[in-house]
Amino acid sequence: MKARAVEGLDPAAPLRANAVRIVATRLAELRDLAEPALEPGASQAQHDLRIAAKRLRYVLELTESCFGPEAADARRFTKQLQTVLGDLRDCDVMLPSAAGIASLEILLRTRRELLFKEFVELWRQGAEATWLGLERALAA
Amino acid sequence: MARAREVPGFDCGEAFGAAAARIVAVRAEEVFAHADGVLDVEDPERLHDMRVATRRLRAALEICEPCFPPKRHRKALKRVKRLADALGERRDRDVEIAFLESFAGDAPDRDRAALAARIEVLREEQRRANEALAPRLKPKRLRKLRRRLRKLARAAES
Repeated sequence: MKARAVEGLDPAAPLRANAVRIVATRLAELRDLAEPALEPGASQAQHDLRIAAKRLRYVLELTESCFGPEAADARRFTKQLQTVLGDLRDCDVMLPSAAGIASLEILLRTRRELLFKEFVELWRQGAEATWLGLERALAA
Repeated sequence: MARAREVPGFDCGEAFGAAAARIVAVRAEEVFAHADGVLDVEDPERLHDMRVATRRLRAALEICEPCFPPKRHRKALKRVKRLADALGERRDRDVEIAFLESFAGDAPDRDRAALAARIEVLREEQRRANEALAPRLKPKRLRKLRRRLRKLARAAES
């Protein structure tokens, strides 16, 4: 999945002003990808969301000191998202080669279900508040 | 997993171009600092650390793209991506082998032979992934990439 282009970046302008644009674009991208990923069988959408979370996390890792604690909270939250979606992805990658190994197939399907529930719970409980906090930090 | 290194002198008020030079220089050094022992399949964390460092460098290059001369940036990013892909091929096998080996002990008897066969296939793929990765980790090749990234960082400063 290609990253959305960030408009209006200027190498001569301060880092913070540019970082605001980059973080805002990556956040918008992640939010737009979330809804389809909340469907249980939407492996591709979940994979895309994982990539978007990773992109946001790396920008925050570099620039969170420009934005304060709410950006650090958002970075930690995106890491949690990336981890659970990564584990989900591992199940999807391993499942085709588990065909014919009944116990492994059952294990991977059960694990996938649990991880999906974990992802939905994480998203429903933390996402909105985290993103609002991050937006406040960007606007400050 | 290794934490990202602090970027010395990082200043949010500094021009994006100057900050980009600093960021890419630090992220590049992180990659080379993790290059030892990567081909050792008995210690997969070494490869994992280098892979994460490569991903952070790639992210930094993508984030700071407007600060670099386009052609030089494109070439550097391409080489970093190739290294990341080669590390990723090995890592995927490491992860699956570890998962299957931890499960194999608890698996019912009827599935054990099939699991062992699957692990064997993965070990072979892991060996091939290592063979493909090895030339990219040769000191001469890494030195060349390092020089390329240093030049790129200097170009953002000017």
